Amino acid sequence: MTEPQWEAEDRTLPPSAYLRMAIVLRVGLFASLALLIGALAAYLLIHPAAMSGAAISSNPILQFLNLPGLAGGLGAGNPAAYLTLGLLVLVATPIVRVASGFYYFRRGGERTMAGVTLAVILMLLFGLLVLGPLVR
Amino acid sequence: MDLGLLVVLLVLLSVAAGLVGSLVGMGGGVVVIPALVILFGVPIPEAIGTGAITILATSTTTGAAYIRDRLSDLRIGMFLEIATVPGALLGATATVFLARASLTDALLVALGIVLLAIIPGSLARRNQEFALARPPDARSQALRLSGTYVDRATGRSVSYRAADTNPALGVMFGAGVVSGMFGIGGGVFKVLALERYLGVPMKVATATSNFMIGVTAAAGAGILFAAGYVNPLIAAPVAVGTAAGAYVGSQILPGLTNRAIRWIFIPVVAALAIETILRGLGLP
Repeated sequence: MTEPQWEAEDRTLPPSAYLRMAIVLRVGLFASLALLIGALAAYLLIHPAAMSGAAISSNPILQFLNLPGLAGGLGAGNPAAYLTLGLLVLVATPIVRVASGFYYFRRGGERTMAGVTLAVILMLLFGLLVLGPLVR
Repeated sequence: MDLGLLVVLLVLLSVAAGLVGSLVGMGGGVVVIPALVILFGVPIPEAIGTGAITILATSTTTGAAYIRDRLSDLRIGMFLEIATVPGALLGATATVFLARASLTDALLVALGIVLLAIIPGSLARRNQEFALARPPDARSQALRLSGTYVDRATGRSVSYRAADTNPALGVMFGAGVVSGMFGIGGGVFKVLALERYLGVPMKVATATSNFMIGVTAAAGAGILFAAGYVNPLIAAPVAVGTAAGAYVGSQILPGLTNRAIRWIFIPVVAALAIETILRGLGLP
């Protein structure tokens, strides 16, 4: 069977675009895991007598789910605030990846694909910044 | 139990789930989420929130290599996210409302049913490595939803073009709802849409599904996180453990035959799914 040959190269998304998106993923992942591991260790050191039942029934980051609260917690060195930041970085990493896709499609003059990626970014931000807090 | 001991147990469970889950292609969440509820007494909304965070960590860990090797089709993946993301937003919002309405038992039953529904798709043999070429539809042509990759096993350069985009978008929306609602990746449904409707080769379908799972999970996780259903004292050890397990699994995967592992893992998932349903129904 003869393999059909179509476009050999995608000029809008060259190999360098793939490489950069892979780097975005790696950096986001390592940053979030470093924050989560470090903050969890600090939390356990500060609360050596903490019991699992209390930890499961009460979420320690509820007070940091807004920008002023998070900024205050980070400034005070609160481990729970850094746990919140680690989770935020993890959630934001794919959003940054989609944003880089928007950049490449816009630069390549592909209006429809740029519009698609922009719509995806806006929906992701809507969920995180509007819908989530709205249903809290 | 001490919190420190809980963290250690969660890491151990998650490493094992992430490792074995990646070997059989189901992801670790299908074990971790029901196990959190059944073994550790974690409320179902928080277990689902933990699942969403776990998917993010796992797909980011394994996805970077697929993207670097250009096995993920970013063009097709980003196009299909227009359907998975609103699905995930809807699913996660539904979970929040079900939890608020004290309908967590219904959520447990539904989760168990979804876990059982995933199993046949995971068991299906996939012999057709290179999808049959089919004519692309107008949208596929307009958006240039096509690609070429070099298959390492055969050394062949394989070209493909996406075919039926409408049914693929429909399945992707459903996959998004499932992912957002239950905190699982839903890769089985995504691969089905990519392979069956778009006619994308299996390897590209798997890698592109992995790429999309992270973005879909971010939509659901964003809502659950902002709504307060992600407890980092549970989610952090599970995310770290599952990501570590998935990474090890992806490294040793090429040298393993996963048939035996599959036949151990799938009964475990089935047992957890049935236990989840029974718990939701209030049966012993």
